[in-house]
Amino acid sequence: MQAPIIRGICKMQEGALFLMENDTRAPSQSHPAWRWISDRGLRVETGDSTLTRYVALISLNLPEIEDIIPADGCLFLVFRRGAGLSENLRSALIAPLAGMPVTNGTLHEIVVEYGGGAGPDLPALAERAGLDAAAYINSHAAVEYSVAFLGFQPGFPYLHGLPCALHTPRRASPRLRVAAGSVAIGGGYTGIYSASGPGGWQIIGHTTAVMFDPQRDAPALLMPGDRVRFVPR
Amino acid sequence: MIQVLRAGLCDLVMDQGRPGRGALGVPVGGAADPAALAAANRLVGNDATAAGLEITLRGPGLRFPLGGVVALTGARFAATRSSGAAAGWGETLVLAAGETLNLEQAETGCRCWLALRGGLAVPPVMGSRSTFLPAGFGGYRGRALWAGDMLASSATAGAVRLLRARAPAIERDAPLRVVAGPQAGQFNDVGLLAFFAGNYRVEAASDRRGLRLGGPAVTHARAELPSQGVLPGAVQVPPDGRPIVLGWDGPVTGGYPVIAGVIAADMVKLAQLRPGDAVRFATIELERARSLATEQWEIEELT
Repeated sequence: MQAPIIRGICKMQEGALFLMENDTRAPSQSHPAWRWISDRGLRVETGDSTLTRYVALISLNLPEIEDIIPADGCLFLVFRRGAGLSENLRSALIAPLAGMPVTNGTLHEIVVEYGGGAGPDLPALAERAGLDAAAYINSHAAVEYSVAFLGFQPGFPYLHGLPCALHTPRRASPRLRVAAGSVAIGGGYTGIYSASGPGGWQIIGHTTAVMFDPQRDAPALLMPGDRVRFVPR
Repeated sequence: MIQVLRAGLCDLVMDQGRPGRGALGVPVGGAADPAALAAANRLVGNDATAAGLEITLRGPGLRFPLGGVVALTGARFAATRSSGAAAGWGETLVLAAGETLNLEQAETGCRCWLALRGGLAVPPVMGSRSTFLPAGFGGYRGRALWAGDMLASSATAGAVRLLRARAPAIERDAPLRVVAGPQAGQFNDVGLLAFFAGNYRVEAASDRRGLRLGGPAVTHARAELPSQGVLPGAVQVPPDGRPIVLGWDGPVTGGYPVIAGVIAADMVKLAQLRPGDAVRFATIELERARSLATEQWEIEELT
């Protein structure tokens, strides 16, 4: 399969964006760079080890940290008001991650109804990719994705692994209402809307899987590090 | 117990929020001015973490079938009591059985908070009683109050003390203090000047997720970025150049460039901005912002 190679190329592109976006402090090999980006927020460049570093930091339960939010190649540390970077945290940020287990989460199979009313943007996206609808669906469903992080809505997964040919910018004008369960593409990610609401991603299908239920013991169906396969219905 | 006779514009059950769930995509949420709700709670003898009501722009008509001990903090609203007694702000109010409290328009600002002795007894969801409207959970059935709703309160022991609270002074007309955002360097001089020297207005399409600002467009070259963590107060600039200040129920990650971040000390001012209000921004050194002391509410016996 070409997927791993394609994935590698995508990663390189994201890395390039990342360096452009960032200032002079390129992430070092030995430990991540960090900088304050608001009076309570510290951004830590973690690259491919984002989730491993997240697990290492969150398990310390540091009193100055209110929360840690994983995102794309970086962690966002939210400090309690007035708290600063303690020596404990500084040590944890530069501690090597060697020996830490690589996250290899649960594999979920998500059944998707592609196209039609469930995926109104699929025809245009297939045409853009130079594929017929069936080939487009096969391409989207052939890959094993990994959950990079949750954001935008509670339980909304940003999945890594989308083949480059399927990368598509978000819609120029967002829809006022996207149904919960919509399977969508936004830039280099694919994702699943966990709640109904406004949204700008391209909708290619729909799943009946409940992505987020605050009453469940584990409210989010997919967690960062989990793996996902889409199964066409 | 509270019986809602008439709903306000958006009456939400709130407490101090649900921190620590950002990795699930769940923001902290909670009262837009947590210290104001905590002060109202102290005035009625509650723990600061008890749930109360956050009331926005136009308030509800509330009946207290069993009476109750109540306090209001935050923006002043036109308010009357069926007993004819004054509905004062920042003080312990003792309501008789069957008394009604009628809250009308906000006179200044946008939001006030109402605490009821015992706290509002809605079931906690993910560790908090705060309503999270965007996903419809928490608070009272995950929604704003409607006429006919009945809100229970928990029982409390101990004598009622009559107290008064004094809010920390805020300069209402001062610009919102911001620190430069992580992508401030991506904006050209025209964009930066437009934003930091511009006069903006809060648009009607603003809510707890974000305040949309009308005014000079902030131009930038790059519309999309890898998503990054964001906090309430982050000022995002979508491709149309119209800044959005993220609010308390905003997303925990965002893909638009962040030009600036409203500092923690000024979030209480953000909580009181209403559609049509003028907004200006002024930069402050990050270290200076971080060293600002947390404003304290003063509580004293009512004499």
